[in-house]
Amino acid sequence: MNETEILHRLVYYSRNEVEGGADALDAVIDQILAVSQRNNTEADVTGALLFNTGCFGQALEGPRRAVEATFERIQRDTRHSDVTLLAFETTTTRAFPNWSMGYVGAKPADADRFGGIAQTSGFDPSRMTADRLLQTLHGLAMEEEG
Amino acid sequence: MPMPDPEPVVQPDAYLAALLELATPVLLADASGRVEFANREATALLGCTAAPAMALDGLFASCGIQGRIALPDAAAPQRFAQMRLSDGRIVNVEARLLPDGGAALTLADVSAFVREAERARRDPLTGLANRVTLHATLGRLLQADEPLTVLSIDLDRFKSVNDTLGHPIGDTLLRKVAERLGTVAADGDVVARLGGDEFTILKPGQFSQQEIKTTAKRVVDLVGRTYALEGHMIHIGASVGITQAPQDGTDNDVLMKNADLALYRSKAEGRGRFRFFEQEMDEQMQARRAIELDLRRALALKEFELAYQPQVDLATQDVVGFEALLRWRNAARGLVSPAEFIPVAEETGLIVAIGEWVLRTACRDAASWPEPISVGVNLSPLQFRSPTLAQTVLSALANSGLAPERLELEITENALIEDTDAVIALLNRLRDVGVRVSMDDFGTGYSSLAYLQKFPFDRLKIDQSFVRGMGENPEAGAIVRAVAALGASLGMKTTAEGVETEEQLAAIRLEGCTHVQGYFTGRPMAAADASALLTQPRRVAEIIEEEGL
Repeated sequence: MNETEILHRLVYYSRNEVEGGADALDAVIDQILAVSQRNNTEADVTGALLFNTGCFGQALEGPRRAVEATFERIQRDTRHSDVTLLAFETTTTRAFPNWSMGYVGAKPADADRFGGIAQTSGFDPSRMTADRLLQTLHGLAMEEEG
Repeated sequence: MPMPDPEPVVQPDAYLAALLELATPVLLADASGRVEFANREATALLGCTAAPAMALDGLFASCGIQGRIALPDAAAPQRFAQMRLSDGRIVNVEARLLPDGGAALTLADVSAFVREAERARRDPLTGLANRVTLHATLGRLLQADEPLTVLSIDLDRFKSVNDTLGHPIGDTLLRKVAERLGTVAADGDVVARLGGDEFTILKPGQFSQQEIKTTAKRVVDLVGRTYALEGHMIHIGASVGITQAPQDGTDNDVLMKNADLALYRSKAEGRGRFRFFEQEMDEQMQARRAIELDLRRALALKEFELAYQPQVDLATQDVVGFEALLRWRNAARGLVSPAEFIPVAEETGLIVAIGEWVLRTACRDAASWPEPISVGVNLSPLQFRSPTLAQTVLSALANSGLAPERLELEITENALIEDTDAVIALLNRLRDVGVRVSMDDFGTGYSSLAYLQKFPFDRLKIDQSFVRGMGENPEAGAIVRAVAALGASLGMKTTAEGVETEEQLAAIRLEGCTHVQGYFTGRPMAAADASALLTQPRRVAEIIEEEGL
């Protein structure tokens, strides 16, 4: 990627509409990740996805049109609703340069074992600002990478 | 073509070579329908070669072609057919009878023409079906007695996107909306754009209201989700009106009208929702139209009158102003409620002429009062769209001789939502000559506080819902207190509206409001009574006592 290229970052959270238990949700998350990793690599989009307490939180970053197209695809997905955009802005650096779409935190099925992401990450979307959600995602991503 | 010999195999090589290289695709078949010859162009067009003595139909099938052609005979020496090639191209085929009973077939690629015709059936911006196609499909289904559902969809707030971000982004947004609607539609549904921000989904087949509700909810949800376009975050909404055949009607126009009536209703109910057509909507629309007809005559017939409700200063208990309230007394209808006719007047634009009458009459009445107190006149948001509003106000003042300081224009937040800057410029212009401006129904809108920052109102009129609610819930009291404090610190007067009891009067006084207006301190009265009230200045307390309240 050209270093002087203007990047856009979009951060949102949304409500989970996937029916069924934790296993069903795990399967859906796996599928979301597989599809987005494939699409995003092509489109030069990076980012991270977090799931907790019935909500998705996601950061997308990359060239503006690619981010917009990715977000539009996400908007049309019926598996979530009440999408709240927290930020859509330019940025000079990627927060997730190595992640076509990282999943941070525990899978719902493991949530008990991990004691819940809410406790570990403090992810409460209703009180989250874009910066905090981004920080949370970033912090968790660094832990995973480290 | 001269045929020296009836047997094609013995035709001169030169003819055969010419036929082979001819720029037009040609096939020759024998009397039994077997392919004898295909030239290069034909082979290239069809994308496959004929095995020796293959039947014509077999050739077409093996090339993946949809459509067949009957071979010509003595009765019909010329036949035509249109076929679709496997790659989607459309080919016109013409078959002519040959002397030996066989046929010569020429093929012409007409894809470009067909696409052109197709284009006339599509909306060029979104690629959706257009009005013509929608009506044709609807008509065909209705003729075949097929059950169906029409969802009429209108975008909320699209105009302001177009106005603020420009048409190119508006167009991109319409394309995105079209794509999203496409994901809601099932196979066989027709999604159409009728123009502007009007869309329609036509669903053939029998569906329960419950099933359609799911679709409508999905439309409202999906279209209403935020768009990220050209670096902008865009929020619009969708309102949906639904009608079903045969229940609601079996005629194109009736169904489209039904869907629009239901859409109109869902917009009136607050947008971002859907409504099914009900027969009574039609009746209500008829009633509304009847009001409109009477309303158009009302000015000429002098059916309007103004009532004046006293506004009292809580510190001195003096009547310091009146609010002019519009009344419509129709010969047949009697006294018509403003809630019934104002919306019609606004929708039809009649409000501009009626509003002007109110302004001129109120100024004239007030100028004749024995005391130089103020007169409040309501302005509809619609009046701000009229370019002559400022001129009308100034001329009403000049003609009546009323001091500008005595005129108080009462506007609601809705007046400020569209073209905020232009409206504020106009208000500033009027303020510069001395006219006062108050914000009416304060607290019921979305962002009153933002507007307070943009324009220094003279007065905040606290909506009566808060005053009425004070007895039952502490929140209403807290809001009244907060608004009074806000007004005090911004140097604005605060009038509590809708005070009906002594307890409410005591309460709003306690919360710090500066003025009061309501039944308890004075009902709306005729102009002559208002004037008389001022001739014998009496304290509010006395009025209350006299009326035994």
